[in-house]
Amino acid sequence: MKHAYIDEYSDIDSYIHRLDPRIKIISLFAFILFVIFTRPTSFIAFALYGVLIAVLFLLSKIPPGFILKRSLVIIPFVLMVAIFIPFFKKGEIAGGYSFGTLKLTVTYDGLMILWNILVKAYLCILSMILLITSTKLSNLLKALEKLKFPSVFVIILSFMYRYIFVVQDELMKMKQAKEARTTGGSRWFHVKVLANMIGVLFMRTYERGENVYFAMCSRGFNGKIKIITGFELKMKDFCFMLIIMSILTVIRIFGS
Amino acid sequence: MTEKAIEIKNLDYSYPDGTEALCNINLDVFEGEFIGIIGPNGAGKSTLLLHLNGIFRGNGNSHIRIFDLDINDKNLAHIRSKVGLVFQDPDNQLFMPTVFDDVAFGPINMSLPKDGVEASVNDALEEVDMVSSIRRPSHHLSFGEKKRVSIATVLSMKPQILALDEPSSNLDPKHRRNLINFLQTLKLTTIIVTHDLDLVVQTCSRVALIDKGKIVAAGNTLDILRNKSLLETHDLEMPNSFF
Ligand SMILES: Nc1ncnc2c1ncn2[C@@H]1O[C@H](COP(=O)(O)OP(=O)(O)O)[C@@H](O)[C@H]1O
Ligand SMILES: [Mg+2]
Repeated sequence: MKHAYIDEYSDIDSYIHRLDPRIKIISLFAFILFVIFTRPTSFIAFALYGVLIAVLFLLSKIPPGFILKRSLVIIPFVLMVAIFIPFFKKGEIAGGYSFGTLKLTVTYDGLMILWNILVKAYLCILSMILLITSTKLSNLLKALEKLKFPSVFVIILSFMYRYIFVVQDELMKMKQAKEARTTGGSRWFHVKVLANMIGVLFMRTYERGENVYFAMCSRGFNGKIKIITGFELKMKDFCFMLIIMSILTVIRIFGS
Repeated sequence: MTEKAIEIKNLDYSYPDGTEALCNINLDVFEGEFIGIIGPNGAGKSTLLLHLNGIFRGNGNSHIRIFDLDINDKNLAHIRSKVGLVFQDPDNQLFMPTVFDDVAFGPINMSLPKDGVEASVNDALEEVDMVSSIRRPSHHLSFGEKKRVSIATVLSMKPQILALDEPSSNLDPKHRRNLINFLQTLKLTTIIVTHDLDLVVQTCSRVALIDKGKIVAAGNTLDILRNKSLLETHDLEMPNSFF
């Protein structure tokens, strides 16, 4: 079975895809920092950040529908955290509503904070999506390793990337086997079967973990992960980073 | 007489849960030899393989030597570079994100320099005819391709002994044929664990039959595989090529 939902569009050939992943990570980091430290009232700056990221997405040839879908999945989580702020922040009251004895008021300061969180979160999410969808995960991991991220962290991510598909296949096969043999049956019966399947999945995954560890030891693993990486920074990589940095600075200075 | 590549004496092993998996195994394998380890499911074949590079150590006075090295903590790294173990399930053998990373894992652990690593990865992939897949993620390979890359992951360490656990299981006829052709060109001491007896006939000169953790017969391939009653008592069937 084939899956590619983690880095589905990483095979496109575009200017952004060809950039060195380290440059992309650093530029992303810079972008996020700039966005975070922009004053909430700098509306023009936010608009310009938006334009910048839109241009980068255009360059990457990733379908806009996909980006929109991806980004909207995350927004509810941000909303869940931020939605109550306008009700609790003290200040000039923008409006109110009362349920019997309970009176809710929304303040301008609170709304400003909500806007601030939402716009910044959305811009950051978009930039993360750009990085992840335009880079092969294996290259992203290598770049993290090169940038001196702790190797334990990198290797755990790479195992996740390698085995998420294997585990999913295993579960799919069990599900198919179950569906091939069950017709009807009570809801309770299905719950029991499902619980059983999950148990079996955990057992198998545990055994697999053991075997993978043996396979690693057999090839000289002694607790230390060593990786060699072969990236070469090219002129265009530096140019990209410098251009992004300058655009960010320009937005920062003139947009507020 | 050629040198002994593997010497196993009085090997007993029980799993931590008490399952007695191996009982008094004695076996010598000579340099350059192809030996088949056959037996029904659960006989202890895989468990035996895991002893060849010190992943498991036998209980009590078990004793295993690889060439002139006893298996002990001091020799472990050295022994693991001499014995290439290929696991049955390629999804366990291939644990890195891409084919290159996987085949390079062994050489990197052996502290080869970067160009040395790249050269051995290339050589190993060439041997199994998978060079063109070097940048692909392992999870995009077909089953047969995974099996081939699995063998490359140990060939890249330039081992002197190759131990394969069920190399032909789940392969389609074409891939199985390729595997047999590949094995026939190998110059290494090779141990093949399998219940594919036709594969054994075509590749191994000697066979050890294991059942319930014991070696019940060992000797010339044809002598053992022609012994219908022996095979049937141990839940095996005579190879098709004999009919
Ligand atoms: N991790 C384990 N824990 C306990 N018992 C095991 C484990 N792995 C295998 N066994 C048992 O050891 C015996 C030999 O297993 P194995 O070496 O896998 O057989 P084979 O490879 O010949 O099919 C079997 O009875 C099996 O159930
Ligand atoms: Mg086995």
